[in-house]
Amino acid sequence: MTIAEVVGAASAEAIGLSADACLKCNVCNTVCPVARVTDLFPGPKYVGPQAQRFRLGALLSPGTGEDSVVESPDKTVDYCSGCGVCSTACPAGVKIAEMNNRARGANRSGHVPRLRDWLLGQTDLTGWAGVLTAPIANWSLHNRLFRWLIDRFIGIDRRAPLPAFKAPPFRWRLGKRHRSAQLAGAPPPERAVVYFHGCAANYYEPHVAAAALEVLERNGYEVIVPPQVCCGLPLISNGLYGAARGRARRNLEVLARYARAGYRIVGTSTSCTHTLKSEYREMLDLDDADARAVADATWDICEFLLDLHDGDNLDTAFGTVAATLPYHAPCQLRSHGIGLPALDLFALVPGLEAIDTDHDCCGIAGTYGLKKEKYDIAMAVGEPLFRKIRSMGATEAACDSETCRWQIAAATGARLRHPVEILADAYRAADVAGPKSPARTEPAARSSPTAPAGG
Amino acid sequence: MPRADVAVVGVGLAGLTSAIALAEGGARVHVVATGFATTHWAAGGFDAGVVRGAATPQAAVDRLARKIGHPYRLVAAALPAALEWVRGILAEEGLTIVGGLSDPLRAIPTALGSTRIAAVLPDGMAAALAPWEPGETLVVCGPAGFRDFWPHAIVASLRRPGSWRGQPMPGRVEPVTVDLPGLAGRHNLSGLDIARAFDDPVWRDQALDTMARAVERLAGGDGRVALPAVLGLDDHAAVLEAARRRLPLLPFEVALAPPSVPGLRLYRALRAALLRRRGRLQIGEPVRGAVGEGHRVERLVGPAAAREFVLTVGAVVLATGGIAGGGIVGLDDGSLRETVLGLPVDAPLGDPWLLPDAFDPPGHPLETAGIRTDADLRPVAPRNVREPLAENVRIVGSLLAGQRYLRERCGDGVAIASALVASRSLGAHVAALAGPEHRLLASGSRAR
Repeated sequence: MTIAEVVGAASAEAIGLSADACLKCNVCNTVCPVARVTDLFPGPKYVGPQAQRFRLGALLSPGTGEDSVVESPDKTVDYCSGCGVCSTACPAGVKIAEMNNRARGANRSGHVPRLRDWLLGQTDLTGWAGVLTAPIANWSLHNRLFRWLIDRFIGIDRRAPLPAFKAPPFRWRLGKRHRSAQLAGAPPPERAVVYFHGCAANYYEPHVAAAALEVLERNGYEVIVPPQVCCGLPLISNGLYGAARGRARRNLEVLARYARAGYRIVGTSTSCTHTLKSEYREMLDLDDADARAVADATWDICEFLLDLHDGDNLDTAFGTVAATLPYHAPCQLRSHGIGLPALDLFALVPGLEAIDTDHDCCGIAGTYGLKKEKYDIAMAVGEPLFRKIRSMGATEAACDSETCRWQIAAATGARLRHPVEILADAYRAADVAGPKSPARTEPAARSSPTAPAGG
Repeated sequence: MPRADVAVVGVGLAGLTSAIALAEGGARVHVVATGFATTHWAAGGFDAGVVRGAATPQAAVDRLARKIGHPYRLVAAALPAALEWVRGILAEEGLTIVGGLSDPLRAIPTALGSTRIAAVLPDGMAAALAPWEPGETLVVCGPAGFRDFWPHAIVASLRRPGSWRGQPMPGRVEPVTVDLPGLAGRHNLSGLDIARAFDDPVWRDQALDTMARAVERLAGGDGRVALPAVLGLDDHAAVLEAARRRLPLLPFEVALAPPSVPGLRLYRALRAALLRRRGRLQIGEPVRGAVGEGHRVERLVGPAAAREFVLTVGAVVLATGGIAGGGIVGLDDGSLRETVLGLPVDAPLGDPWLLPDAFDPPGHPLETAGIRTDADLRPVAPRNVREPLAENVRIVGSLLAGQRYLRERCGDGVAIASALVASRSLGAHVAALAGPEHRLLASGSRAR
């Protein structure tokens, strides 16, 4: 048993105490994309396990209750982008990125949040405001004076990739068939999935949600889109844990009912699905039965489709998509621990040559690269990736995370697409190519829809 | 969940070379590892063996191969071919390896001012291998403010003939510290930071000019200059070429404490070679169990963000390392456990943990702990070596029982030789799997 395992078994402070397993071997420092490009961040080892002994809140001030937090003496932790590459690289199992995320939360706790950080966390608020005033809002986002003003007074870099609002929001485009708050009357879990669209697909990229619906329905699933709010990740990344817990509880209340009834929850935003799977429990300490049920039921859409394929339940009658497609696996996807399912799915599409760009992080890391003091860092982090995509002369590229897509598109001029859009294209290509409509695969009855994959 | 013809567990030298060899043979390979390790720490050379009285790596390997229970008994014959194969793979990725198994073992300077024995090294270090002439000067040159390389301390030790293991030493050894542009005010400066600075052609020229002037003053005639191993990461070949052109003495790199830049270059070259052969890498996945039937492993299982990570496999190569690498852990009762499949560990009898001298001349007995295998590197029980415990599993690298890789310095040689033996033996196996009904090879061959 490793020290990390002992600590994990014995203590609720598992993340913080995993610092004890650190060998000081420097592997995390060699892989950190931020430390690679700036001295403002000394590296995950210094900010993570080495600073950790100064901030073991409950241990340093016992008896002060669960809200006792100790501010990190090392303020450079704010320059951690939270990409998580360090945690995956650590040979000793130290939860470095998670530790740093919590330290950031502790540093913000009890302070009035900076307007910018608060605003970046309010994705539902800005989303609604944006789609309701879309023409004006989108004009403003491309207006130099407006961008200069929010750069100067709010701290969002005037060059940062802000996506355009698409009105009406995805939820308004849905028919009654999809929208449901009621379990009663929903099709059984063998024939239906719950779709978590997240903010991006609702306010900015309804076409991604539409592609997801198309692909899921093609495979015989009814799609239920219950009421939902922002997953809370932008709040977590900005250290606003309290508000994030509020969002989490609202989502859990609705989603847990479906999860318990055996429905799988499928999402197109790989960072939202990772939040549902892991961050509610690990970062927000919401480790109750609801959170566990939702975590176990949540699937990233490519992970879900590959699981269908595993059980021979995926409609593989894809038409030809003749393209060479650079694919960037986002750092958030790597934290799922599910491999690279999009590449496995792309391999099923005739004519499609997907190329793994093999770069750790595009730099944006959610809202990190939007911030004035971090924009240049984020661009430098992603530069090798941008260069690779530019040198391939690709006009299109694929990526599972929306903020990465916006960052890469802005930097390269390529059109960035979610893998599920490519699959939807491939199904449509089959429809156009063949006069006979391809056979729909009915999903086989599942004895337990939430059972682990690969069974 | 993903599928693979072969899953390789571990991302050190043995794991990566096994994966490349298998992918080269057409297998769909998926590498999973808890995290990075040996490549990021090690010096980036290829140590095949060091035994008292053996003048070449090959002589040392031959001697070790005669020891009962040593992994070289099973894989030494494959070593020459393995080294040439790895040399070719790395050359394709722009990394040159110099020296062969029959070349003399030489004493080369370390960053501590001692020397170590080597014969096969990356190009950047290779100039240290030629025997020193009495008329030669060795200048040890390092950047000011860099905590991992202290020229004056190194020189103080290298001036003592005893440091040179009885081999010829330079006539003169001189230290010099240089102020490289922009490094003075930087905190926590690591070798990796300086290597990245060298990747920038403009900074590189300024830095090399500064170093050239400093070395010039001390040179006076023939000689060589020892530099910390920081001559570029992405663009190492160009930096090395520029250093050779601009410095008045022939430069060579000296390996540093982790993070090891030459080790990172080696890792990156091997990773690129694997991806080029359409292999897959998943780092951050500690495989902690397997599901199988009879004597076959069918799925590997490990933790994930939710549920479990499950990898459906045709065969498995275990390259998780020995006790130092995490492939074997000690339990509270003093017994040892292999961490992925729970294979029986062949360990010395009695209580091997506590010795009067941690640096006992024969080495710590636990160093030899590992997994016993048959000639195909399939795991067997320590006392019943006839019957493989799992017919689609191969053991490679320092997880193999019977080696003292610290003392015998056989780790790199065992790693690449066992990788070749395992991949050859699985190659036939994989070809048999790859029938028309084998969905994965048929459908997955286009993805990279």
